[in-house]
Amino acid sequence: MCRAPARREASGHDSSDSPDRGAAMIDVARLTKQYGAKTAVDGVSFTVAPGRVTGFLGPNGAGKSTTMRMVLGLDRPTAGSVTVNGRAYRDSPAPLREVGALLEARALHPGRSARDHLRWLAASNRIPVARVDEVLGLVGLEAVAGTRVGKFSLGMGQRLGIAVALLGDPPVVVLDEPVNGLDPEGIRWVRTLARRLAAEGRTVFVSSHLMSEMALTADHLVVIGRGRILADCSMPDFIAEHAASFVRVRTQGGQVADVLRGAGADVTPVDGELHVQGLDAAAVGELVGDKGLYLHELTLVRSSLEDAFMTLTASSVEYTARDGAELAGATR
Amino acid sequence: MTVTAASSTVALDPRRNVPGTRPGFSSTLHSEWIKFWSVRSTTWSAVMLFVLGAGLTALICATNAEWLASSEADESPGSFITFGMTFAQITAVVLGTLTVTAEYGTGMIRATLAATPRRGSVLLAKALVLSGTLFVLGTVTAFAGYFAGNWFLDREGVGLALTDDGVLRSMVGSGLYMAGLGLFAAAVGILVRHTAAALSAVLALVFVVGNMAFLLPGAWGEWTAKLMPGNAGSPIAAPVSFNPELMAPWPGFAVFAAEVLALLAVAWVVFARRDA
Repeated sequence: MCRAPARREASGHDSSDSPDRGAAMIDVARLTKQYGAKTAVDGVSFTVAPGRVTGFLGPNGAGKSTTMRMVLGLDRPTAGSVTVNGRAYRDSPAPLREVGALLEARALHPGRSARDHLRWLAASNRIPVARVDEVLGLVGLEAVAGTRVGKFSLGMGQRLGIAVALLGDPPVVVLDEPVNGLDPEGIRWVRTLARRLAAEGRTVFVSSHLMSEMALTADHLVVIGRGRILADCSMPDFIAEHAASFVRVRTQGGQVADVLRGAGADVTPVDGELHVQGLDAAAVGELVGDKGLYLHELTLVRSSLEDAFMTLTASSVEYTARDGAELAGATR
Repeated sequence: MTVTAASSTVALDPRRNVPGTRPGFSSTLHSEWIKFWSVRSTTWSAVMLFVLGAGLTALICATNAEWLASSEADESPGSFITFGMTFAQITAVVLGTLTVTAEYGTGMIRATLAATPRRGSVLLAKALVLSGTLFVLGTVTAFAGYFAGNWFLDREGVGLALTDDGVLRSMVGSGLYMAGLGLFAAAVGILVRHTAAALSAVLALVFVVGNMAFLLPGAWGEWTAKLMPGNAGSPIAAPVSFNPELMAPWPGFAVFAAEVLALLAVAWVVFARRDA
């Protein structure tokens, strides 16, 4: 199912596709957040299941971070509820051991060393100090453990943020825009890490405004725009449904178009090409061959996922550049 | 597209790491203690507090001892023996403000509240670490200032014994007033969430507006002035106040403590309800 789910009734959840209650998961139900007159998150419902990477995709200002802050009990929902492992985040006795989160890369005091930052976090949840050096090694920061984080690059800060998320060895991992500011090597590292965490059976919830990144990382996709869920489905379903394809044909004369139309295809002439929908490339080739006609080109064209995402969210983009410039390049 | 089968995953007990009982308040306290002492601004503030408090007391006693011993003196040596603490109090305000606003300025408050969602515990732990440190530091500094300053006063024969009226009380009182000022600043920090704004508001209120309030006319004005936090709280930190119109040490401190607690209560309510 690729469409936004109907708003759930107060009575509960559709049991068919939600994993069992004992599993590590995030359950968001009719969550709404208003700031004054502005509705940042508008009646959002979805579940994040264990064992896979769930991508949370949306343009900047779509409500991703707000939703994530409500998951972590930082912001109070105006309406609706969110539970992690079956209870509100605030009710967890030791939340860092249950849910690890990367919120903002720069949620750090610049004067504190990386190790001290992890030490105070560990102390608050009674996590053994040995784990601090373990996660520093895991993210490759052991050499700069004693350096004040004010001297860190954006990428190093992001790695420290991920170390924080992994500190309590949590079954649920929430990463808000984890690849922001990372170099290609770092992006690859985060991608591999997210996939590995999911393969270990953890619940992994990753937000991004980049479709291309999600396509490589996520198994399941929750798309949000203007505070509403636009799609909630597996990545293959999303691709099948949203990445439209057509067959491009170059030929001379109008006969080919007539033949294809005669076979029930939808043919649109564009700049001397024919865009054919309703027939696949093989069928087009065979039909034309049977009639003894010639083709100069026969190509299957898939619109990119990026395009699909743009189309899906076009009406829900918060800030559109006036000249229609790329949304994807914007920072968050 | 890299879509792997979900069937390869292992079932993971979502609470396998979670202890049966909550890590107690001591964990939150320990966490705040590490946080407090792992930034340089704390060490610097503590050093400045000591240098200003003890150093300026010694200096003012050294330069005024002869005058205090003369017949022209119209002030008590008891007003001078904790003189430097007035300036040290500024560092206490700075430290109290930074403890809170540094977290808001950097966004770290979210990490704090994600780790410890019980916000009351966070606030209490912060308050204890801050006030405990300031009390010890303030008292030690006052004693150091006393011993250094009194050495000069003794040479002129106007020295004070620790057993003299109000001397010991002013030593411990310096620590208490420091702790109170730090908490006052921290509470304002929570409400304002901005270092510069919180700092200027508290410094202005305690050190400037308090003094100007004595210009207000009538009994109403007099009591307004007396009840201003800086005016009510400070007499406890000196054996003899420069300003004879201030309240007596302990009643004044009670008023100050009540004001600090009231402000903390407001801060607590706001802190508990507000989005991080």
